[in-house]
Amino acid sequence: MTKLSPFSVRGRRALLVMRDERDIAIVRRQLSRLGMTISEHDPAGPPPPNQAVDVILMDADAIPIKSDQATLWKGSVPIIALIGTETPSRLKWLLDLRPASFLVKPLRSAGLYTALVVAFDSAQRRVEDAAHIEKLEDRIRSRRVVLSAVLQIMRGHDMSETDAFALIRQTAMRHRTTIEVLSAEIIAAGGMPNRTTRTA
Amino acid sequence: MTKPSIPLGLVFSQSGPYAMMAGEMRKSALMAVDEINQSEGFDFTFTPHLRDPGGVVAGYHTACADLIREERVDHIVGCYTSASRKQVIPIVERTERLLWHPARYEGFESSDNVIYVGAAPNQHVVPLVRHMLDHIAIDVFCIGSNYIWTWEMNRVIREIVTSAGGHILAERLLELGETAVDHIVNEVVDRRPPVVFNTLVGESSYAFMRALHAAASRAGLSIPMLSCSLCEPELKLIGSAASVGCITSSAYFESIEGLENRAFVARWKARHGADSSPSVDGQSTYVCVMLLARAIRRAGSADVGAVRRAAANHRYDSPQGPVWVDPDNNHCFLTPRLARSVPGCQFNIFWEADAPERPDPYLSNLDLAAIGTRPGKSNDAMTKRSTHLRIVK
Repeated sequence: MTKLSPFSVRGRRALLVMRDERDIAIVRRQLSRLGMTISEHDPAGPPPPNQAVDVILMDADAIPIKSDQATLWKGSVPIIALIGTETPSRLKWLLDLRPASFLVKPLRSAGLYTALVVAFDSAQRRVEDAAHIEKLEDRIRSRRVVLSAVLQIMRGHDMSETDAFALIRQTAMRHRTTIEVLSAEIIAAGGMPNRTTRTA
Repeated sequence: MTKPSIPLGLVFSQSGPYAMMAGEMRKSALMAVDEINQSEGFDFTFTPHLRDPGGVVAGYHTACADLIREERVDHIVGCYTSASRKQVIPIVERTERLLWHPARYEGFESSDNVIYVGAAPNQHVVPLVRHMLDHIAIDVFCIGSNYIWTWEMNRVIREIVTSAGGHILAERLLELGETAVDHIVNEVVDRRPPVVFNTLVGESSYAFMRALHAAASRAGLSIPMLSCSLCEPELKLIGSAASVGCITSSAYFESIEGLENRAFVARWKARHGADSSPSVDGQSTYVCVMLLARAIRRAGSADVGAVRRAAANHRYDSPQGPVWVDPDNNHCFLTPRLARSVPGCQFNIFWEADAPERPDPYLSNLDLAAIGTRPGKSNDAMTKRSTHLRIVK
């Protein structure tokens, strides 16, 4: 997937989940100027099953807090929350939706572009962060493997833990592989795999 | 010599779900306008311009835009719900006008172009929850209308109750105007909570109180009920039996002692009939007009900036007692009171603050630790809990 710049909004698709006609008119005018395509959805109804959109502009006041629909909006599409009521009960509900950015009502043409850029940027960062976290979690999961490999080298080569780990790390670097992959090989081979001896 | 006239916008819905309340507010505004116009103490008169948004939220914006453009008003008294006020705020801010807002509300707002004359949350819900914890129970069953007022009241109740070691036993919501209440009444009677906190509004509340009264009587139960909004005209609508015994928090009751209120009630009854009663929101609307008139007199002009400055900290001895605007947040110093509804559709006041309380719309000064650790509180509440169900035969 090509990475879009958050600053380029032309051609992206916005879904308006709003009630107030004046606010809708302002958003429509401004999004059209930016070259975005617009569709609307009635806040009273449940979320559309197939959200083929890039961003959702949602009037937070239009959706009751205690309704089944509220949480159904939670998903991967970034949400720009339009905020009128600032009571903690309403804001708590909003936080659960994890909005990517927000605007305070009454809306003006100014601010909308910023909200879009922040939303696209934070959505992109969210994806990247999630990938990064997955990688780290993988690494944590394989710690057990690395530990076993270190113990194996310590026993086989009569080394201290520090030296054993250093050997694994250097070997992995030389072979352009990860410590985790090499550790799995060490355990499978019952010692340092043969290829280590081939290196200079 | 005729006095100069100042146009005054009055925006109250005469139809829709809260028309009864707004009708009381409109009557009170007109009563205050007549008193100002007949008074020798003011060298101007008000010309009221009435608008009726019919309970439709979008209608408030139109009504105020029209008042400002066509009638050239600088000051508007009106709105009952927060949704309607939020419609008006953009236009009064943009055009630098003042909205005088009479109704209590849930807080978390402070516009330079609104004077909030109704109670802030530290003046209505907080004293009531404190009383509940100290004297009734620390576990509570909440029922309310499914909108912002209840959501935020329940949040505040939950925060205070939880910090005091109590529990929200249930949180039941009804759509605005819903009167099918039997399932909740049955649940209350089955579960016998030590206390019910009622934030229902309008017909839903009346239906619930009637039905719970009937069901509890049949079951031989007496379950205390709490409210932050009940008023005398509503007690009459609910009916004399079912309306008795509700502990209510309000800045105004008809039964307030004091010369200003006695005189106000007498004037009210002379104008609207001996059987009628002023309501908290009606009285507050009257106070709005009076605060405005006094500020104009003090400023020597209806100019919004001058009036705002003149209103700040200027004490008015109103029917509900001394009231003045806190310029820090444009809300009012008011005296919180607690009362129990009694036969005859009146309230018996059993507690009031020693002095008018500073408004705290964001509850920034709410000290949960102080409420939770009050000496003797938890023991007291525990003993009270065990005796909460009185058999009334």
